Amino acid sequence: MSTEAIAAEKPKRNFNALFGLTLLGLLLLMWIVLAVATPSFATTLNITNLLRQGSLIAILAVGQTFVIITGGIDLSVGAVVGFTTVIVALLINAGWPIWAAVLATLLVGIAIGLFHGFGIVKMGLPPFIITLATMTSLRGIGLLMTNGNSISINSDSFQAFSRGSLAGIPYLFWMVILVAIPSYIFLHHTRWGRYLFSVGSNAEAARLSGVNVPRTIFMAYVLSGLLAAIVGVLLASRIGIGNPTQGDTYELQAIASSVIGGTSLFGAIGSVHGPLIGSFILSTINNGANLLNVNTFWQRVITGLLIIVIVYFDGLRRRGK
Amino acid sequence: MTSTAQDLHPAPTLAPGRTILELNGLEKRYPGTHALKPVHLAFKAGEIHAIVGENGAGKSTLIKLLTGVMPRTSGEVIWEGKPTALATPHEAMALGINAVHQEVVLCRHLTVAANMFLGEEESRFGLLQQRAMVKDAQKIIDGLGFDLPAHVMLGDLTIGQQQLIAAARATVRGTKFLIFDEPTAYLTRKEADQLFELIRRLKGEGVTIIYISHRMEEVFELADRVSVLRDGTLVGTRNIAETDEPELVKLMINRSIEQIYHKEHFTPGATIVETKNLSGKGFENVSVTVRAGEIVGLYGLIGAGRSEFVTTLYGRHRKSAGQILWQGKEVQVNSEHDAIRLGMALAPESRRDQGLCLNLPVGMNLNLPIYKRISSNFLISGAKEKAEADRQIADLRIKTPTRHALASSLSGGNQQKIVIGKWLAHGAKLFIFDEPTVGVDVGTKAEIYRLFSTLLSKGAGIILISSYLPEVYELADTLHVFRRGKLVATHGFRTASHEDILGQALAEKQEKSGGQK
Repeated sequence: MSTEAIAAEKPKRNFNALFGLTLLGLLLLMWIVLAVATPSFATTLNITNLLRQGSLIAILAVGQTFVIITGGIDLSVGAVVGFTTVIVALLINAGWPIWAAVLATLLVGIAIGLFHGFGIVKMGLPPFIITLATMTSLRGIGLLMTNGNSISINSDSFQAFSRGSLAGIPYLFWMVILVAIPSYIFLHHTRWGRYLFSVGSNAEAARLSGVNVPRTIFMAYVLSGLLAAIVGVLLASRIGIGNPTQGDTYELQAIASSVIGGTSLFGAIGSVHGPLIGSFILSTINNGANLLNVNTFWQRVITGLLIIVIVYFDGLRRRGK
Repeated sequence: MTSTAQDLHPAPTLAPGRTILELNGLEKRYPGTHALKPVHLAFKAGEIHAIVGENGAGKSTLIKLLTGVMPRTSGEVIWEGKPTALATPHEAMALGINAVHQEVVLCRHLTVAANMFLGEEESRFGLLQQRAMVKDAQKIIDGLGFDLPAHVMLGDLTIGQQQLIAAARATVRGTKFLIFDEPTAYLTRKEADQLFELIRRLKGEGVTIIYISHRMEEVFELADRVSVLRDGTLVGTRNIAETDEPELVKLMINRSIEQIYHKEHFTPGATIVETKNLSGKGFENVSVTVRAGEIVGLYGLIGAGRSEFVTTLYGRHRKSAGQILWQGKEVQVNSEHDAIRLGMALAPESRRDQGLCLNLPVGMNLNLPIYKRISSNFLISGAKEKAEADRQIADLRIKTPTRHALASSLSGGNQQKIVIGKWLAHGAKLFIFDEPTVGVDVGTKAEIYRLFSTLLSKGAGIILISSYLPEVYELADTLHVFRRGKLVATHGFRTASHEDILGQALAEKQEKSGGQK
């Protein structure tokens, strides 16, 4: 086969990979600029801090991406994070062994995902509505359970996890890798991943092709709920308290990361590496702005503008091919 | 540049024979393709000018240039003696150029009346005159002889009825030049007749009509002249009286096809599926048998119950009574999943809505039903995925650069091949084709029919639903006629006349629209 033939064979793949690389390039460029501009950026303390900050949103963004690929949205993930910090805190303080408390908390996340699936598939509610409803309700339930107070977790070993690191890399970032690899395989190398795309592209065609559409939708929301619960556990470990108001606006950051990473809100387009990079771009913006002493109010404005710019160029690129 | 104000008002009747629009070397290039090579053509006022050609021959490009949707690369467009830029849709409309597209491009969630006046709403003191618009729209619709209400949501009408509304809409806008792009693709015979009447009336009023269709008999029924496009080149223009179908087909595909309807007869084998007095929503008491190696045709008007019958057979809807026997054994088909597991395959009527994931790659579409088979331990085998997709692409001659190309980038005919191809890989026994050649050109049609023979030779059975009589007539070994949810007549291969079958499908309405074949 001639080189042209090979070049012509996988234009789309190359293109996607290229786009992934450009985002990664943007991230690296930001790091280099910050390292030169501020003395405190390229310190071990700051880098590990950055990795810790970005990790939580990164994991949420992966789950969010599964949902968005099916053409849906999960607005509840921030609330699930807050709620599950409460659950895991209560269970640990009640004397449960850590492993059991964590497991039970993850099951709560799965149950919330199942509820979303039920609302969408069985009750016919739009994903936006059902997850908006749980977003409000879960915070309320959490506040009722705690009476509005924070619950201090009285287990040092539980909190030690978020502070620890392996080979110089924080455990929290290892968790991202632990989530990302199976997620990548799931999305791109199993039929379930293909079904997510097909449902997002044309649910009717997928159904007529024998794809179990309801089950696929359930799966997407269960995964999103599960990953949100994992983040809840990690956040509880990091801060050492259970509080239902934690994780505020996490859902929006997760959606933004996903979209920056090339996910289409219309469904059927998305990857695992894109949202991961997207979430670290977002946390780098915040981190860098702090180091450069940019007013926190301005940080929000800048983040918003950058989302517009990045997604606009992504759109241009796609149309241009 | 822009048009004069007079164009906004209804056209004065033009003397027939006068040239209204002249194309002088009109040309369109895209990066990498020469979509339309320089065209020289003059349209006369008040003529019906058919344009035929295969998919990808340049018809859509020509329409897009004439309606100002895309700018041309070079050449001149002369409208009523004056060169015009024709650079925007607005400019085309101001001149009096309108188009009725194959797929209805109106708002499904607005009423018929709101659609008819979209962009030209009647208002007083800034408030919409809704009641007045409904009344006026109804007057227009009634005047055209369409039996349709103006106050309902457009989306509540059938696709055919929506198409009629789209045509009616184009007539109220001071149109002098009206382009119909495959308007009958989704129409029943009756609706098509209403449309033809409208077109003839417009012609009588001096409107120039461009009529694009794959259906030769419509071209001969309607047109005064016909132009043929092939690979972006205008290869000829003929007066309709001086040409015939073989000549046009030869011009279109540059080879003569003896027989579009490729029919091979196989000795019927074992019974694949049998329904006994099956009833459900929209049909009742239907008993049909399909054996290996035969095509069972279901003919009738849209809404006669054919599609409802097959979707029930396919598990979409619950049956209310009767039995389904699969290879002699009674089965319950409660979902598409059950149907697929048994070995049924449905190529649905609306390719875009039901058949394909358009923004996914060709390969993924082809493999969708078989991902279970080509996975082991949860992981998809990349090699098998590639092999299966490439095999279907080669076997069906799907024209695509690679299996990674998006389904949306393919032509209609090739998209249809994907819908069929995914079931070939699956190894289905019973193939249900619902209007398989709607919007497909002659060459692709012939290929799809040849594909039927391939399926039959492999021991499959076919249920073929069509609103296009010649198709079922020339292909079906057994032809069932549906009317109002009932199976009213059954014929063998070519054992009845077109007129008889039409009569049975229409019955008490006494539509005598036969006589054209």
